[in-house]
Amino acid sequence: MLKGLLLSGGLMVAWALVQGVVFHLRAPRKAFGSMVMWFIPTLPVFVLLYYYAPANLGVLPERFVGIDWRIGLVNGLLVHVLLFLTAGLFYSHADRSITVRLLIELARAPEQRMTLSQMQRACGVEVLMQDRFDIMLRNGFLVERGDRFALTPKGWLGGSVGLVARRLLRIKAL
Amino acid sequence: MRGLVLSAISLALLVLGTIVGLRFYRGAKEFKVFLGTFGGAVVLYAGGFWLLPSDLGFLSAGWRESSPAVDFGNGLLILALVFHGFWSFSYFVCVSPSMSALIALRLRRGAGLGRDEAMALQGSAEPVNLIFQRRLPKLLQGGYVSEEAGRYRLLARGGKVAALGSFLKRVINAQLA
Repeated sequence: MLKGLLLSGGLMVAWALVQGVVFHLRAPRKAFGSMVMWFIPTLPVFVLLYYYAPANLGVLPERFVGIDWRIGLVNGLLVHVLLFLTAGLFYSHADRSITVRLLIELARAPEQRMTLSQMQRACGVEVLMQDRFDIMLRNGFLVERGDRFALTPKGWLGGSVGLVARRLLRIKAL
Repeated sequence: MRGLVLSAISLALLVLGTIVGLRFYRGAKEFKVFLGTFGGAVVLYAGGFWLLPSDLGFLSAGWRESSPAVDFGNGLLILALVFHGFWSFSYFVCVSPSMSALIALRLRRGAGLGRDEAMALQGSAEPVNLIFQRRLPKLLQGGYVSEEAGRYRLLARGGKVAALGSFLKRVINAQLA
């Protein structure tokens, strides 16, 4: 198992470095799409590395070698995908968090003080929803029909998942 | 493989426990329910790992990891990663303004949603938007900001979060608010 974990860890570090460079050089409009695009090639690379590299990677002691290679491969792929999804969530936390945005606005304000109306102007519902609608239009969840928004099939699926999840998970909006 | 199996069982119980816990929890700090069930899942996982036989009664020799430490760590890593995803997903679907708009549209069955209606979902007509109604009290209670003479002031703790947020936004080259 350790072989797969180490290969996955190494590939994720390489992917994170490449993705960081891509973000800075190209600033992709569809950030998550860009992350997926650069991540997908790491999957066949992982499989090839796992297949061709020796079981002990040339450095691991014998006690870490011995599990059925198919279990090691599947486990490594599972961890690899989970690490990517976690990286995607961290991106989302950094980019979309309303609380962090609010604190950054406060940090940049004169004397680091703001009234409620100033905060609402800087990152209130109008600013936020405009931003969110732009993202959802760009990512194909919504289409604009005249002055109204409508769901695309992708948005309908997202809304359906959300509807079911909200019935199960009782987290109060307030 | 023992770690993987136990991790999967612990995760299933964690999700069920969280769903049940949230139904009975009456406070506004739902994260405590998530952390509590995660703690319970880790205890269950660790207890099962040390108490149950290494083959769990059905794993063949080739399916058993030779190093118990690697097996244990691997299962715990997967437990933690999936828990983080579950937690983030749960908050996203329940609190996110984007998801609120998608759900409102889904319930309207093709009627569409205007910008003003979407804003109203977030309490734009109220003196304090829902966005602030939820977050400001938590920032005040948590010692991130203070309220003085009708103005909100950033405290040291909030400054650290803002600095970390700014740093992360620079790393991903996102616009700074």
